[in-house]
Amino acid sequence: MLRTTAKLLAVLNSETEPGQIGLGFALAMIAGFTPLLSLHNLVVLLLVLILRVNLSAFLLGLAFFSALAFALDPLFHRVGLAALTARPLKGLWTALYNSTLWRIEHFNNSIVMGSLLVSLLLFVPLYRLSNTLIRLYRERALAYVRRSRIMQAFTATRLYQYYQTYSDWRG
Amino acid sequence: MTRTGWIRWPGLLAFVAIVLLVAGFWFLLLDSLVKRFIERSGTSLVGAKVELDKAALSLNPLGLTLVRLQVTDPDAPMRNAVEIGRIAMTMDGLNLLRRKAIVEEMTLDGVRFGTPRTRSGAIRKRPLEPKPEPRSGDVIALPTLSVPDPKEVLEREELQSVKLVETMRTELAADRERWQKRVAELPDKQKLEQYKAELDRVQKTAKGGGKDVLSGVLGGAQAAQQAVALQKDAARDLDAIRAAKADLEQRLAQWRGRLEKARTAPEDDVRRLKAKYGLSGAGATNVTRLLFGAKLADVVDGLVRWEARLRPILQRVAEHRREAGAREAGAREAGAEVVKPIRGKGVDVRFPERLPLPDLLVRKAHASVELVAGTLKGQIRNITPDQHILGMPLTFDFAGEKLTQARAVTVAGTINRVNPAKPADHVAVTARDYALGATELLNSKDWAFHLERARVDADGTLTLEGGAIQGRVNAGFKDAMLKTSAPAGVVADALAGTLADVRAFQLHAEVKGTTADYAVTLASNLDDVVKDAITRRLGAQLVRFENELQAAITQKVSGPLQELQKSVGGLDTLTNELTARLNLGQDLLKPVKSAVPGLKLPF
Repeated sequence: MLRTTAKLLAVLNSETEPGQIGLGFALAMIAGFTPLLSLHNLVVLLLVLILRVNLSAFLLGLAFFSALAFALDPLFHRVGLAALTARPLKGLWTALYNSTLWRIEHFNNSIVMGSLLVSLLLFVPLYRLSNTLIRLYRERALAYVRRSRIMQAFTATRLYQYYQTYSDWRG
Repeated sequence: MTRTGWIRWPGLLAFVAIVLLVAGFWFLLLDSLVKRFIERSGTSLVGAKVELDKAALSLNPLGLTLVRLQVTDPDAPMRNAVEIGRIAMTMDGLNLLRRKAIVEEMTLDGVRFGTPRTRSGAIRKRPLEPKPEPRSGDVIALPTLSVPDPKEVLEREELQSVKLVETMRTELAADRERWQKRVAELPDKQKLEQYKAELDRVQKTAKGGGKDVLSGVLGGAQAAQQAVALQKDAARDLDAIRAAKADLEQRLAQWRGRLEKARTAPEDDVRRLKAKYGLSGAGATNVTRLLFGAKLADVVDGLVRWEARLRPILQRVAEHRREAGAREAGAREAGAEVVKPIRGKGVDVRFPERLPLPDLLVRKAHASVELVAGTLKGQIRNITPDQHILGMPLTFDFAGEKLTQARAVTVAGTINRVNPAKPADHVAVTARDYALGATELLNSKDWAFHLERARVDADGTLTLEGGAIQGRVNAGFKDAMLKTSAPAGVVADALAGTLADVRAFQLHAEVKGTTADYAVTLASNLDDVVKDAITRRLGAQLVRFENELQAAITQKVSGPLQELQKSVGGLDTLTNELTARLNLGQDLLKPVKSAVPGLKLPF
């Protein structure tokens, strides 16, 4: 059980570059803000698995942004409704509405549209911010965390040792 | 080992594996999800539990089978409003991906109404809908079914004839006084005699002549002038008398007319009291309303209540347009329509479609409905809450032949919400030889009527348009058995016995008004049957009652009536007086003779 858990943790934490972690967070924001069973989240899932994205960051971010979405739903609704009822875009929406693929996507729902627009708008800023914060953490805080008693106790556990072994094998 | 590049190809396998896992999981759970969805949305719509035993989805061909759907009656939580044994449908897959549930054909087997439930279907404590208050005109007066003592009746009742005669006496007395005064003010016989005497004197003076011709002519002219002046005065007075006589004669004619009415007033009193205290036509008509009025009103009330319950399903657009705000109104101006889904967050904005279709549509449903009388089979077409998109109303028609309790039954109609501002629903029902079982028609404090059995041929229609309701039923009952429980009394026993002897009768009912306030009009040859039978059985008593009443009223009224007649005669006397005066004054107006024979006066 411990070995399996360690293997899983190793896989999840295999990509540790700041960009990979940041991308994980950014993609998690799209999946977390928008309704989970939307069609575009298949694309997000594909990107998460096929690109070298930190899976732990994605899962953690998904939980965080899903919780945040409950509070932001009224904002998403207003943004989505404004976009869907904008006169200049009526032609575009009408064309999409008559397409089966886009109807499956349910783009004409105010929450779906609003949450997707907001998450796409915040994608790049969140990616850059995550990068910056991770680098700062590694430069300034990581050494302190490693020296803390909790971390020292954790690194002494067998789980961590197995994790470290599998991590080294993966390179 | 170092890894370079951003692509993780094994991730593709992981993606496929996850998708297949989720799809498989979803497919396994789909039946339960569909079942839960139907139960939850149905319960929310109906306001009482909607339960489904099983849902089974098939992918090839795409279809859904539902087993034992129970819809609780919100007014009677231990009964189902409708229970359907099996529902099977085939669906259009492509439209389903476009979030449109288009069912090409649906089969409903074993549709039953009012089935008992094993446990309550109430979802929360809610007050039962109050029974509608009796509408104006619906408070049916029970006919008084005992023949009272005419003396007691007269003590209790105010006679209109006596009141009328008394009023006339007072008015006539005042009128007589007024006319006597007026006649007294007119020139009387004495005055007219004076005119006559004066005229004679003037004429004599003129004949007497002068010493010579000239003085004779001058004297004659003067006399003639005086005579003319006298005649003018007399004519004026006679005109006044003539006018007064004309007025008086007119007034007298009016009084004679009123006197005639006063003479027939006792008969009106007899008729009124007979209707109130005996069984007249109006009282007998009440029997039909007693027997069938409440039952018919219950049926109509039930249909109106269910129309109100089904309205949110039949007419989604109007409901949700009302909930939309200014923003949504702006969207409508832009050519889009905002529709709030029945459940879920956010709103869906609907855009113009190349091939518009409702979100939910059942094109054709074949149903078999199990009634007590037997099974009806038929079709319902175009079931959708968005008729304005489809452009066609919901229609249904059911028929059954050689049923267990009827020779034939047909039910057909339309529910039209194509124009949501002008809803129009229509249903027509026919039944031939329908065997009615024991039915309670009325159960009040004093009376109870039961139709133990009957075979009915009936045709009925009901239309709801806007808020207006209009309906008609023609029914012929045969092999009928009516049982009555009535208070003790000769007439009540007669009524009970009469109804027990009735085997066949016709009934015609009309409903008209608004859904909040409608009137039920009933007519039946049962009224004539009851009236004739009771008249036969109680003929002698009713005739005696009428005669005694007539005699008592006549006795009360005859004295005042005679006095009234005398008073009218008094006015007649005044007329004669005026006539005599006119006759007297007739001679006064004859042309005056010239004093000089052969001389024609220029005036």
